[in-house]
Amino acid sequence: MSAGPDDVRDVVVVGAGPAGLFATYYAGFRGLSVTLVDAQSEAGGQITALYPGKLIHDVAGFPAVTGSALVAGLLSQAKEYSPRLLFDTDVTGLERYDDGTFGVRAGGRDPLRTRTVVFATGVGGMHPRALPVGHEWHGRGVVYVVPDTAAHTDHDVVVVGGGDSALDWALALRPVARSVTIVHRRRAFRAHAALIDRAVDEGIVLLTEAEVTAVDGDHRVRSVTVRRDSGETVDLPADTVVGALGLLSAPTPFPEWGLEVRQRKAVVDSRMQTSVPGVYAIGDASTYPGKVALIATGFGEAATAVNNAAVHIDPGLSLMPGHSTDEELAPPSTRTGQVPVVATARRDET
Amino acid sequence: MTYVIGKECIDVQDKSCIDVCPVDCIYEGGRKTYINPNECIDCGACELACPEVAIFPARKARGNPEWEMFTADQAAFFTQVLPGRDAPLGDPGGAGGFGSLGVDGPLVAGWGRD
Repeated sequence: MSAGPDDVRDVVVVGAGPAGLFATYYAGFRGLSVTLVDAQSEAGGQITALYPGKLIHDVAGFPAVTGSALVAGLLSQAKEYSPRLLFDTDVTGLERYDDGTFGVRAGGRDPLRTRTVVFATGVGGMHPRALPVGHEWHGRGVVYVVPDTAAHTDHDVVVVGGGDSALDWALALRPVARSVTIVHRRRAFRAHAALIDRAVDEGIVLLTEAEVTAVDGDHRVRSVTVRRDSGETVDLPADTVVGALGLLSAPTPFPEWGLEVRQRKAVVDSRMQTSVPGVYAIGDASTYPGKVALIATGFGEAATAVNNAAVHIDPGLSLMPGHSTDEELAPPSTRTGQVPVVATARRDET
Repeated sequence: MTYVIGKECIDVQDKSCIDVCPVDCIYEGGRKTYINPNECIDCGACELACPEVAIFPARKARGNPEWEMFTADQAAFFTQVLPGRDAPLGDPGGAGGFGSLGVDGPLVAGWGRD
């Protein structure tokens, strides 16, 4: 089944961090059809993955805003023009066709056909860090996310890691599991103290200064061997091993896709266009002389890229979109008199 | 911009920073760990994870002689030829394959032992 001409989008934005979310909004605002793709299951890129609770102080208009509130506002704004949103979708390739359009290979489906591409891939797609021991059992008892806790009912569960996510998974599984043990390499947990207290209260076993040295089983995992720094070795029954060692990003393979790079970032001109006409790069994924990698500058780069993409698609269009305060350009939500979503997100902060 | 690992790490090497670095840019030396300034994305995850409070952002080093020295030594770890090697480490794009490099930047190599 090949994509028909009706499926050709004006813009595919790759990466749902702040720059990509704003580019998605902006494409809709400019009247372009847009698809947003991201490897993660939720929006926000680095903000969501690394510092959702941190206060950000350099976004215009917000003296201070938490990462999660900013992402919530950006996502609501991006949805104003009903873009197609594809999460949990890895982009694996970029194809160029004779008619000047592109195909973005994503998630094993037919390539997403588009007239322009905006890469807002930041430091690359983020994925759970593989367990140093036992990764080969992935899908046979070793998991990195737990979408459905009930699937682990009556399991002996071993969680590997020492951060908030390790404690979160352990606490989520405790009510259904037969036992839950957390194995952490270091002496101290990075996780919030309140989470650790709760884990102890709920009967979760904490093994610190300990490493999983072997995972054993038959057609699936049955046990793990844990060695403690003291030299003691313990065998634990295990039906489920949860890897909670954080996220690791892989640089976007721009060179493989024919894009010029410098220090793994796509080289762009003042239009935010890469070495391939019609392909743009913004935010942390891009570089140019004088580049300052901030959320604040990423927003401007998004608007620059999308306006130039509009002209690339139709050279008869004006580069300038007109002002957003013009009545006919006002976003749908403000026309109906609703409270702007960003203001709502801001109120939640106080 | 980058974060820098200071003297509190020397002969401790807890390595929690390595666990949390989302781009695998923290390399294990003989006596401390080193952040590759070109590979660091300035996220600050390591600063929060370090139990020794050894990590600071390079932008705060200016005017602090000790922090300036550790910032320079951390850069030197990647740009100078380390003992036992033929070429500088450079920017390998990830520490995963290296394990402990067993050697240090000139400042740290000569740092007094407690």
